[in-house]
Amino acid sequence: MIELQNVTKLYGKVIGVNDFTLKLGAGAYGLLGPNGSGKSTLLNLITGQLRPTLGSVRVMGESPRNNAALFRRLGYCPGSEGLYSSVSAFEWVKYLQQLQGKTAADAGVAAANALDLVGMTPSMHRSISSYSRGMRQRTKLAQAIAHDPDILILDEPFSGLDPVGRHELTRVLLDWIDLGKSLLFASHVLHEIESITQSFLLICGGRLLASGTAEDVHAMMVGLPNEVALRCSNPHALASLMLREQVVDSASIVDDTVTVATKQPARLYEQLPRWLKNSGIEVTEMHSADESLQALFNSLMKMHRGEL
Amino acid sequence: MGNVGAVFMFEWKRSLTLPRMAWWLVLAGFPVFIIGVIRFSINASMIENKPPDPALREVVIHHPEVRDAGKEQKLRDPAPRELWIGFLFALGPMLVTMLGTMLWVTPALSAELERRSWVYLSVRPNGGTAVLVGKYLAAVTWVIPPVLLGLAIAVPLSGASNGWQIWWTMARLVLLSTPAYAAVYLLLGTIMPRRGMVLAVGYSLLFELVISFVPAVINKLTVHHRLQALLLQWCELDIPPEFMSGAISLIGNTPPWQHVAILLLYPPILVTASIGILRACEFSSSAESDV
Repeated sequence: MIELQNVTKLYGKVIGVNDFTLKLGAGAYGLLGPNGSGKSTLLNLITGQLRPTLGSVRVMGESPRNNAALFRRLGYCPGSEGLYSSVSAFEWVKYLQQLQGKTAADAGVAAANALDLVGMTPSMHRSISSYSRGMRQRTKLAQAIAHDPDILILDEPFSGLDPVGRHELTRVLLDWIDLGKSLLFASHVLHEIESITQSFLLICGGRLLASGTAEDVHAMMVGLPNEVALRCSNPHALASLMLREQVVDSASIVDDTVTVATKQPARLYEQLPRWLKNSGIEVTEMHSADESLQALFNSLMKMHRGEL
Repeated sequence: MGNVGAVFMFEWKRSLTLPRMAWWLVLAGFPVFIIGVIRFSINASMIENKPPDPALREVVIHHPEVRDAGKEQKLRDPAPRELWIGFLFALGPMLVTMLGTMLWVTPALSAELERRSWVYLSVRPNGGTAVLVGKYLAAVTWVIPPVLLGLAIAVPLSGASNGWQIWWTMARLVLLSTPAYAAVYLLLGTIMPRRGMVLAVGYSLLFELVISFVPAVINKLTVHHRLQALLLQWCELDIPPEFMSGAISLIGNTPPWQHVAILLLYPPILVTASIGILRACEFSSSAESDV
């Protein structure tokens, strides 16, 4: 479906995508990466808006640059907003469907159906300027799916949606996948992608760091030290205790917080309540830095560079 | 062609707003206002300088010697027909047409890029081409009617003789100049979308208003030069012989059909060039900070 061969994209001296090689068959994929990781550049390359500085991009076996035939089979919902404020969602989606090659009547039907699918029917004749961010997001999605494309490419589609909207959009996308259609979905939020697909592409610094299922990614993390930060009444005593029990590899203290690195997080979490009870140390806050996506990417970047 | 039609209709629909309609009226009213002011000034001057007795003035005007010398009209109106034609030409086929097309067409691409709506259009089959051509056609059809309407009021207001002939000449020039200027501004706006308006104003001032008056080969590249030549050949202007040689050195001896053909070639050539640039360049909204 999508094939990138040693693709590099430079913006002057800034690197957007760095020697990216990827081959995706039909299916649903989540493109996961922190902000500024190169997701949008990658999607712009795949949708033919950018030309790679080096390497080649193929979508369904063809170059996406100025490819009218491919654009008939591709639906794209970009991350930026860019809607016309003075027209209604119906007029705008209909207009884009006419650009897709449909007659005015067919475009109107396609627009109405797509807006209905994303729950915009009651508001579709109102001016876009009166829409909430979530309504705009749904309108953007409607324009991407209205022509029933084979591949749907979405850049941060959940941005600005409330929980109900997220749930509804998730359902729409799952139905889409059930129809046997392909989906490439970029987000910087792990659980957004997990709710749609289990196939991940992890990107950071313009590089593909890892790919596979959620289990694959977790398996890669086995053996990597986890960082855990604990705010407590006596950080020196707690650090000393954990080092003595040989459950952590290093500890650092800043003010009332002790941050430890451990390769045995399960044992730490299991034993910690007992140690705290016996020592009388009070923990007021505890979090694992490695639960954040950025930490995962930091570890993968270090692995990528051979530092781990 | 279908998607060009869609852009054309969409742009026209979007233009039916109060601010755009007001701008349409300004374009139509501008030549009327300027000609009206000049007419008023001349009338005021005539009232100040006219012979005290209107009956005596009529006798002078109808005197056989005056009539035989062809000065009857000049005594009635001190502004000669050629002067009115010059004003009407400068206002209609030149200024209003240039201004209208410049403001409509130059930002055809940059407006979409700044609004970040370009991405939705560019991922459609030939979407970019349809947007450029559709917007170009919408601009041309939007600018021509107010210019023709303005001239239809301004010509009789000027009081120049053979008003219908003047209007018809101006109308033909407007029909040639609007697509040509729109094509020039479309190209400039595509070459440099983020500074398109600066480029368009610079081009208009330097090329169309200065270089077009330079009697050299370079003035043949301007739309203004072609329009001037056609004006001189289509309007029966009473140019004094001492000025005629200067006029010929400026406009040359090219027959009118060649000027018309060249003006008709501007749109296909320049619009095609704009499309070529559009297809070759990258216009993604991704900035360096938004990778």
